[in-house]
Amino acid sequence: MNNEKLIELRSISKSYDGEKVLRSIDLDIHKKEFVTLLGPSGCGKTTTLRIIAGFENPDEGEVIFEGKKINEIPPYKRHINTVFQRYALFPNLNVYENIAFGLRLKKLSDEEIKQRVSEMLALVNLKGFEKRDVTSLSGGQQQRVAIARALINKPEVLLLDEPLGALDLKLRKDMQVELKRMQRQTGITFVYVTHDQEEALSMSDTVVVMANGEIQQIGTPEKIYNEPENAFVADFIGESNIVNGTMIKDYLVSFAGQTFTCEDAGFAPGEPVDVVVRPEDIDIVPVENCMLTGKVTSVTFKGDYYEIIVDIDNFKWMIETTDRVKPGQTIGISIDPYEIQVMKKSEFSGMFGDYSTFSDEMEHLSELPAEDAE
Amino acid sequence: MTRVKSKNSAISKIYAILIYVILYFPIAVMILFSFNDSKSMTNFTGFSLRWYRELFNSGKAFEALKYSLLIAVLSALISTVIGTLAAYGIFHMRSKALKRTVQSVTDIPMMNPDIVTGISMLLLFAFIQVIFGLQKSLLGFGTLLIAHITFNVPYVILSVLPKLKQMDKSLVEAALDLGCTPAQSFFKVEFPMITPGIISGAIMAFTLSLDDFVISNFTIGNTFETLPIMIYSMTKREVTPDMNAICSIVFVVIFALLLLSNIFDGSRSAAASITEKLRKNSKVTAIVAGCVAAVLLVGSTLLFIFAPPPAELTLNIYNWGEYISDGSDDSFDVIEGFEEWYEETYGKKVKVNYTTYSSNEDMYNKISSGATEYDIIIPSDYMIAKMASEGMLEKLDFSLIPNYKYINDDLKGLYYDPDECYSVPYTYGVFGIIYNSAKVDEADVEAGWDLMTNPKYSGKILQYNNPRDAFGVAMYAQNLDVNSKDRAVWQQAFDWLAKQKPMVQSYVMDEIYNKMESGEAYISSYYAGDFLFMYENNEDLAFYQPEAVNYFIDAMCITKKPTRDAETYELCNLFINYMLSEEAAVANAEMLCYASPNSLVIENEEYIEYMSDIHEDAMDILYPEGLDFKAKYEQYAYLGLDAETNKLMNSLWSQLKVSAEEDEVEITNYISLGILAVIAGTAVFFFIRKKKRAKYY
Repeated sequence: MNNEKLIELRSISKSYDGEKVLRSIDLDIHKKEFVTLLGPSGCGKTTTLRIIAGFENPDEGEVIFEGKKINEIPPYKRHINTVFQRYALFPNLNVYENIAFGLRLKKLSDEEIKQRVSEMLALVNLKGFEKRDVTSLSGGQQQRVAIARALINKPEVLLLDEPLGALDLKLRKDMQVELKRMQRQTGITFVYVTHDQEEALSMSDTVVVMANGEIQQIGTPEKIYNEPENAFVADFIGESNIVNGTMIKDYLVSFAGQTFTCEDAGFAPGEPVDVVVRPEDIDIVPVENCMLTGKVTSVTFKGDYYEIIVDIDNFKWMIETTDRVKPGQTIGISIDPYEIQVMKKSEFSGMFGDYSTFSDEMEHLSELPAEDAE
Repeated sequence: MTRVKSKNSAISKIYAILIYVILYFPIAVMILFSFNDSKSMTNFTGFSLRWYRELFNSGKAFEALKYSLLIAVLSALISTVIGTLAAYGIFHMRSKALKRTVQSVTDIPMMNPDIVTGISMLLLFAFIQVIFGLQKSLLGFGTLLIAHITFNVPYVILSVLPKLKQMDKSLVEAALDLGCTPAQSFFKVEFPMITPGIISGAIMAFTLSLDDFVISNFTIGNTFETLPIMIYSMTKREVTPDMNAICSIVFVVIFALLLLSNIFDGSRSAAASITEKLRKNSKVTAIVAGCVAAVLLVGSTLLFIFAPPPAELTLNIYNWGEYISDGSDDSFDVIEGFEEWYEETYGKKVKVNYTTYSSNEDMYNKISSGATEYDIIIPSDYMIAKMASEGMLEKLDFSLIPNYKYINDDLKGLYYDPDECYSVPYTYGVFGIIYNSAKVDEADVEAGWDLMTNPKYSGKILQYNNPRDAFGVAMYAQNLDVNSKDRAVWQQAFDWLAKQKPMVQSYVMDEIYNKMESGEAYISSYYAGDFLFMYENNEDLAFYQPEAVNYFIDAMCITKKPTRDAETYELCNLFINYMLSEEAAVANAEMLCYASPNSLVIENEEYIEYMSDIHEDAMDILYPEGLDFKAKYEQYAYLGLDAETNKLMNSLWSQLKVSAEEDEVEITNYISLGILAVIAGTAVFFFIRKKKRAKYY
């Protein structure tokens, strides 16, 4: 990754049937960068991708590619290729011809096409599949063909629209690693769209969190995770307990009826804030030397840890721990100063971070992709 | 569980087999009889390729098939292109409301009855002709093609549109993304995806076009015939066995096409593998494409190559189906003979357009509609009277018809043309009683028409299924005047028919041939000429001619046409004269088997021998000795009925038919009512249930 800007989006807005899908997006994408657009269904991430690809025109704003405005350039003239959500392989062509499609349009010689197709097949680990009918391939194999078909054109940018969404968990993990390897090997800029925060964190150089057609935060995965800028980001990336607090002064915040030292500064004294504490950052300690006490309301076994819900001062906290506790038990907890993240109040304050109605299933439902609606 | 399952599958197998038997048995019979050695439609006498040979030799049916195929191929190709583009356009419409509207508008022609489409097309072409003040009717190959394209396009859209809808939209985006221009993406991605739909649309269009009769009948004009039109007009006589052969060929062709279409539609991979193979071997592709193009080119120019060089004169003849010697069965082709004779004599090429009709009324309607123009027609006597009185006939120039002198004087100056100016008799006939001599006592036959009410033969008697002939029989049997305007007379005839009704096996027209030839029925009334046809297939049949019978005369006339030039008018008269020449008249008389009014025929040795070969008494049956034809004709023959009498006859007829089928009708009514009640009940049940459930939403 270097600092040379490849794509710049300037104040991009887009509406469908009077409904605003994108509200003045600004985004820089650098050469050789792996950028992930992350957000729930309907946040505008796919639309952003389609605008970069040229399938959609923004209502307002500029799309700049290598310093030139490309709003009016049709997709087939952009040095950008796309891997589609459902692969969009041409069912009437076999694997070889699917991959060779772009090169045939450029009228390259059969020898050169053959050489580059076999390079690509090696890159995506599909040697020997040349003559296979694409409809006979598994989802993962089809995905590789789609990637090879896009990469063979040596694009400046590869756009990937939830490419792993249809794969099962194990395969998805393998493909994540492979995609990262391919990106490093080819040195091509990847713009990756997903609603899966884990995928985003593990692959990206830069994560762009989107919601309601706006960018909520841009940063490295670590920064996004550790220093979320608002309640939405905090909640969407991993699990978070988000409670109302008051900044007493720099490095001192009060919440849950207690005062805590923290590492945040720059707020007005007495300013209401959102305080984020990750479930795994909370320590269970003997009640005698604790900061807060609470009553365990539920315990769920998660394999390598327990997920427990604790009622502290009428607010349900989630704690991930390896200690065994029982429902109904009163426990003491302790939070280190560096585990406390203080955020400014935002439009999302109070919407997330309370586990009183939490269930895995609910969360899963709310994450189901409905990108077609965009 | 498994036992139930196997039982079910056995039942479903039997059910499936039953359905296939019902669907395909008739076709199997047709194909079998296309290989029959004899002319019979009921007895299979041995395997032979006779009818196929005849088909290829005679050329008439083949000519019609050629036009049918040409129209089907061209209209399928053109409508496939138009329909595919239309489907593509509809699919990409942005406004949903417009899309829905356009789609339903294109669907309407499919639901429209053919008759409506046909008539509206005819009106359109006639209208265009009037607006542009054209001298000649537009109807012909072009209008037929346009009509076929029109009714084919919706079917192509219907089969292409779903393929477009099924296609993953991102395929097009993927193509654009990989560098295709929108046009390239259509040909490289969308087109291969919708190819199965296009092919099955094209095949559907082809088959629909191939068997269309109704729309074609209105738009075809007078220059040629398609197969369905030709077969339909064959009803004057029984359909000839070479039609079995041609229908078998058509069936096999369509069956093969449908199989192909299913392969294309059902398995995309099959289509894909074909396109893949083609793509891989671009030389083969080029050759195949070249061949297809060549075939199409040759096909579409066939017309112009095979059609004789542009004739200087055309003559449009409109005649009954199977009512001329046309070269089949090694006979003399009268039309060809005339064309040759005219060119030799006058040094000019003449093109005869010969087309056919199935009834006087059909012919009358077609001509009075004015959309199609004919020069020569051969109507029956009463129709000549009607057309002459309506000014639809041209006077003949008898100076050009010297052969008129050979016409039997008895057939001249009859009521329909008392001044001998509009018509020249072509053929005439008499009806009588045909009976099976092996089953019917000769003594009973002497009773004449009373044989038809003889209880001894109850259930073996056939009666005409048309009012004029049926009432005619009843009136002759009671010595009543068949042209009476007296209600009481008609009532009396009705009573006779009502009395006969329980003894009648069935009321029939064309089926009479099969029923008599197979011995299923013993007694019927029909024309002497037709008796000779039946006798060829069943030598037990005999003919009896009662005293009171109907006589018919069909005569050649020229239609009134103000735009006809003097040369063509002369040509018309010369054609009529040619038809009276010995060679043509004998050939026609042998082909038709009805009586000829021409003394050149009656005295022709070869003709007498030919007829005697069919039946030893053929000449006596057709030309009874000492017959005072004129007197008999004037006394007994049908005249045109006035409107009121016609109405009376028809109402009495339906009364007879209803009472004949009363029980049957009643049962059918009850069953229909029952079915309707069940449907209505089910609909009400579902409606109420839905409403009830909706309350809880």
